Amino acid sequence: MLILDLIVNGVIMGLFYALMAIGLSLIFGILKVINFAHGEFYMVGAYAYTLIALRLGVPVWLALPAALAAGAAIGWLTERSLMQPLYRGYTSWGFMRDEYAVVVTFALSLFLINLVDKVVGPYPHRGPELIAIPRMAIGPIMISGHRLLAAGLALAAVIGVMLFLRYSAWGKQIQAVAQNRFGASLAGIDTGKASAVVFAVSGALAALAGGLLAPLINATPDVGSFPAIKSYVIVVLGGMGSVPGSIIASLLLGVLEGFGAVYISYDYRDAYGLVILILVLLLRPQGLFGERAREV
Amino acid sequence: MQHFHHRIALEFTLVLGVLAVVACLPVVITNPYWLGVIIVSMYFALLASGWNLLAGYTGQFSLAPACFAMIGAYTTGLLAHYFSAPPWFGIAAAMVVAGGVGSLLGRIVLRLRGPYLALTTLSFAEVIRVVIGNSYNVTRGDLGLNVPGIFDSRLAYYFLFLAVLVLVQIALFALLKARVGLYLQAIRDDEVAAASRGVNVVFWKTAAFTISAAVSGLAGALYGHFSQLVSPELGLIFQTGLVISMVVIGGIGSLVGPVVGALLVYIASEWLRDVGGYHLIVFALLVILFSRFFREGLWGLVRRALAPARAPLPAATVKRGWL
Repeated sequence: MLILDLIVNGVIMGLFYALMAIGLSLIFGILKVINFAHGEFYMVGAYAYTLIALRLGVPVWLALPAALAAGAAIGWLTERSLMQPLYRGYTSWGFMRDEYAVVVTFALSLFLINLVDKVVGPYPHRGPELIAIPRMAIGPIMISGHRLLAAGLALAAVIGVMLFLRYSAWGKQIQAVAQNRFGASLAGIDTGKASAVVFAVSGALAALAGGLLAPLINATPDVGSFPAIKSYVIVVLGGMGSVPGSIIASLLLGVLEGFGAVYISYDYRDAYGLVILILVLLLRPQGLFGERAREV
Repeated sequence: MQHFHHRIALEFTLVLGVLAVVACLPVVITNPYWLGVIIVSMYFALLASGWNLLAGYTGQFSLAPACFAMIGAYTTGLLAHYFSAPPWFGIAAAMVVAGGVGSLLGRIVLRLRGPYLALTTLSFAEVIRVVIGNSYNVTRGDLGLNVPGIFDSRLAYYFLFLAVLVLVQIALFALLKARVGLYLQAIRDDEVAAASRGVNVVFWKTAAFTISAAVSGLAGALYGHFSQLVSPELGLIFQTGLVISMVVIGGIGSLVGPVVGALLVYIASEWLRDVGGYHLIVFALLVILFSRFFREGLWGLVRRALAPARAPLPAATVKRGWL
């Protein structure tokens, strides 16, 4: 029953990937930039959850929402403080908006990593489990209680964000801005606020992923770089800016990785996804499910 | 154009002045540790100058400069390890190999821009690092390769790095002062317009990637012989972050900015390390502040202070109104 086990564990991994990738995809959708500090939102979530639960002795079911709030706050602050020049298009000197976004988010990532390294320390931190049920067999599948609960919460968050984007007033505004920022602003939508909401939601989702995985990953300050690279692969594969595409690509990558690690060479496993990314960007830049941008 | 010639000549004079000061430093600084620090800062100055040609003048924000340094270092390292090739041959080969890989990357990403370019070059760099780091049979993986040194004295390395840095600056100045400099900047400012005025965009973009990669490869090979060890750490994305920080702090798109940025950032970071290790936090914060508020970097600030009376340059027009 190895195959079933691989599929279930792959889907669970995929759900965590989706938490990261949805946020990255939303940010790309609304601003057409890549957030290179996305892995650090995840790292902040893992540290916030672990430290609040262990150092302050707060119960885990309160520490998790607190980590979520920390992620939302840092995302919101990032948008409010650093993304403003993007709305003015071409900047005063040859430093163009895409390049500005690359440099500033890259630097933010460097800043957050070293801040945590200095303030909390470079040693790994392991978070407490949400529920202390050891690995058990459910039918043919071996799974720990925490992993099952975390996967359930991740699934709930993914569904919640989908509903939020589809049916809430803010969600509709975000979709409108993603389709056409200028047109949306003509229709009276506060595009700056929509962007801030997107960053807050993205930060919260990444932090949730970090918090849920904290008992499994031994968080160090640079723990975010690996899931961040994974989510770049996912958003490219799913089509930059397409939320359903990035969810499907997340699940696909989770399952494929599980099989790849077992059936193909383990040594170069980190390179496969990146090679796929380069090939997709070159051959099918809109990704598997992406749509071409609509411009006025 | 007249304005640009005047500006770049001034910048070149300043670079030579800064490097003349660096040449005199060993009179005062005899401590081998600090000589080593300045040597490494010159390594970063080489990387920063090469990346600046590509990013600052041609507008191609590659996230792979450290990767090319690693390729250069491994070229000479492997040649010395397996064929006992002399260093001068290894260093020349490093430039050729890094330049070749750079031109390949340039061809691959020809059509990509902005976030797509950044992601592709980042993935490219990571793939090469993972492959080098995991090919234990050939490269000894994370253990690194031992590379023979060139000289016994630090001072000799010091003047080797300085001489190479001066030569690279002269070459960059000659390149940018000629029509090529205008071609590259035209590509940066508007690719379509440049093509419509007869600039061979494909050729010059690839050339910029090639030259920039060759300079990085040269720097990496020299560094390999200096530290006598090459490891995949040379290609870490963090190293690329450091190079970008130096260029942005010094002043992107100028000759003098990357050199001054690299020297200042690296020497100051060694100095601050003793104070409590807050140097990386400070530099990351500086990069954020500089790119947010003074996009022209330190050199831009100096230039503005030198010419307060002159009328401000006309602001670039809004290119696209959709965002």
